[in-house]
Amino acid sequence: MKLVFHGGGYDRDNRELNLKAIELSGEKKPVIAYIPAQSYDSEVDFRDFVKEHQKYGLRQFLYFPIDYPFDNTLKRELLKADIIHLSGGNTFHFLKYLKEHKVFNDLKNFAKKGGILTGLSAGAIVMTPRISAATYPDFDCDENEVGLLNFTGMGLVKFEFFPHYSNSRRYDDELKKQSLKLKYPLYAAPDGAGVIVEEDKIKFVGKVACFFQGKKMFMN
Amino acid sequence: MIYRMTQLKLRRASQSDGLYDYSQFNKIDGEHPLRETNCDCFVDYRARHRKGAKIAAFNFGLARDMGLIAEDHPNVLTPELEKILLDKFSLVIINEYDILNKVHIDESEILPGKYMATKYLQLQHPNKQGKTSGDGRSIWNGCFKNRKGHWDVSSRGTGATRLSPATSIHNKFWKTGDPNISYGCGYCELDEGISTLFFSEVLHKNGLPTERVLLVLEYPKKISIVVRAHQNLIRPSHLFSHLKQGNVHALKSMLDYYIERQVLNKVWKDCPKGKNKYKYFLTKQTEIFAKMAANFEDEYIFCWLDWDGDNILMDGGIIDYGSVRQFGLFHAEYRYDDVQRYSTTIVEQKHKAKYIVQTFAQIVEFIQTGKKKNIKLFSEHWSQQHFDLIFQNVKDRNLVKKIGFKDQDIDFLLKNKKSLVKEFRKTFTYFERMRSKREVYQVADGITRDALFCMRDILRELPQMYLLRDNVIERKEFIDIMRSSYCKDKDLQQNHYRDRMVDQFQQQYLAIIQAVARKRKMRKFEVVLELTMRASIINKFDRVTGDSITLITDRILRDFKKLDNDEIYRILMDFVEYQNHNPDTKIHMDELHVKKSPIIRSMISIVRENREGL
Repeated sequence: MKLVFHGGGYDRDNRELNLKAIELSGEKKPVIAYIPAQSYDSEVDFRDFVKEHQKYGLRQFLYFPIDYPFDNTLKRELLKADIIHLSGGNTFHFLKYLKEHKVFNDLKNFAKKGGILTGLSAGAIVMTPRISAATYPDFDCDENEVGLLNFTGMGLVKFEFFPHYSNSRRYDDELKKQSLKLKYPLYAAPDGAGVIVEEDKIKFVGKVACFFQGKKMFMN
Repeated sequence: MIYRMTQLKLRRASQSDGLYDYSQFNKIDGEHPLRETNCDCFVDYRARHRKGAKIAAFNFGLARDMGLIAEDHPNVLTPELEKILLDKFSLVIINEYDILNKVHIDESEILPGKYMATKYLQLQHPNKQGKTSGDGRSIWNGCFKNRKGHWDVSSRGTGATRLSPATSIHNKFWKTGDPNISYGCGYCELDEGISTLFFSEVLHKNGLPTERVLLVLEYPKKISIVVRAHQNLIRPSHLFSHLKQGNVHALKSMLDYYIERQVLNKVWKDCPKGKNKYKYFLTKQTEIFAKMAANFEDEYIFCWLDWDGDNILMDGGIIDYGSVRQFGLFHAEYRYDDVQRYSTTIVEQKHKAKYIVQTFAQIVEFIQTGKKKNIKLFSEHWSQQHFDLIFQNVKDRNLVKKIGFKDQDIDFLLKNKKSLVKEFRKTFTYFERMRSKREVYQVADGITRDALFCMRDILRELPQMYLLRDNVIERKEFIDIMRSSYCKDKDLQQNHYRDRMVDQFQQQYLAIIQAVARKRKMRKFEVVLELTMRASIINKFDRVTGDSITLITDRILRDFKKLDNDEIYRILMDFVEYQNHNPDTKIHMDELHVKKSPIIRSMISIVRENREGL
């Protein structure tokens, strides 16, 4: 599997990770699909996303909101893309509609069959086993505005991912506490940083911290 | 959070220091230049202060646009602002019933100025000459002028006037608020005010001329006063009443007044003086009404236009949102049921607008010659051909704009590829106007027959399909993308003609793109990519409809007691930006510093669920 986890930030902050995703695709000009976490206000985000990726020479994009009904023709195009990018936003809303509109399993299969799946913030969290990272810390978490009960994510990796990480005591205390509940590592990435998974290999871009069983360490 | 803190600080500052100047409101005092026309076009009323008002909503943006509050005024209702709004606008007229019945009114409550209820023609009124019809429950608060222009300010729900149909029909004056008569009691309901506020701001944001709501005052039992403002509140019916009465002096006086206001507001910058101004007026009005009719048709705005020239402003602005709707699809056979009669349909609007222009031509002739000729003699008038020409041009422009082209490309296409655009519009219209096999049926407030296809959907998705495939899409795919929930299998039985039209649509669409690409010396995919981004905003999946506005109003009113005025305004701003379909002005919602609240989430889901409806 080839996956890219973005810690957050604007598209321009994620240049290295974006280029890596393109490189993973093996195509010079891959087709890239953009799935917003929520359609509300997402047209403007899509415009920014396209403008940034045009700088890398990309020319074929698909905008594919999943929280309103869509046509199967478009869905087929989505799954033919080389890269599918899951945007940031409200994680609960995103997961609810990925499942409700039956895109969730398709994306898992897409990744398993070698498609490049990239996610930023909420989009990265939904690729992990559970979306717990969206529920803490109290001072910086998503609101479960859709009343989601099942937090099971795609489970494409055996780690959890915490975006928008800030190297500070209050974040660290919370993340150490949360890591005690997990059997696998919890990677925390600030904006612009991230994690790249390529089959069995894992690579870190920027200052990514790992929290495991109550302890913290930086990965590079 | 930072935004909230700033607002709190500003609130405290304004409370303690009297930071802001509200003296501009004092210019709104009942005085109005229309009084000087001396053409028996209004009834004057004294008014008294009305107790028990609460500010339900205040439109800070409009107040800023008008220059009533400072540019840097925060979106916070300071105590001083609240006081002046209540002092100025919470009023009820002292009407004929009060005078005849010697209703005791404390002298201290009587306001100093007088307020006009203006006379105009109304088809639902027994008198078909406009002698006794007009503002039945409204008064004009006055004219506000500053360096930003002249604004008319008027309030709805300020008491029963002698110009309401109820007075004529029953031949008696009505007590304001009389429960025995609903329309005619002089009151206005709160939901009317809130729905007009939201609807008019959305349309204004998207570039359509409209009255705008400055303030909604709330009274017990969900009664309200709605204060509205526009740069010129004259309706065609204000002129038509004098025409019907054959009063050329009054007609000229009213027309001169209207022209002068357009000049003063710099809307008509090159208007000649003397008699030539009437020809100029007719040319301009023809353009305004042709453009308005085309825009209404293309934006699916249902506005009941008729021969009386009521329900619309002279400058093409929308007024009186009671029966105004925006359809999600081109529901060509919807008619509003007004008990005594059915309204026109969206398709018939054009003919009514054209007839109003024909009446303008009759007016100009009457003023210039002093002779009132039969309206039929103007059916071949140059203004009628001019109307058709403008109407078609605006329709062409609107369509290429909807595809996603920028102004410079639109100008190029209309100048150099006119026939291609025209042919494409024919094909587009074929799909847009296809109707369901289900015949006309009854809906809550009228009758309708369903449209089949959502043209926004195909215009939004087609460019990205081309971007990905670099080829046309299959016929079935094309239909599936734009198929609405009203479209049943029986509506889609094998049809060779429709198949050909699908092919033609795509050929013409691609030919237009090719033409622009050649002109801009760009590769085709670059143009298509630009269209993909722009069309996703212009043809957004969620677009407000009349039904959704009604439901949104209900939703807001459900939580009304929990929301303060500042929150209502934040919700309004957020909603209006969410409904901004202009790719050139669309901004990130983050820039509004608005948190997506549960109420906004409900509003979004209402818009989504009703996006194809009436």
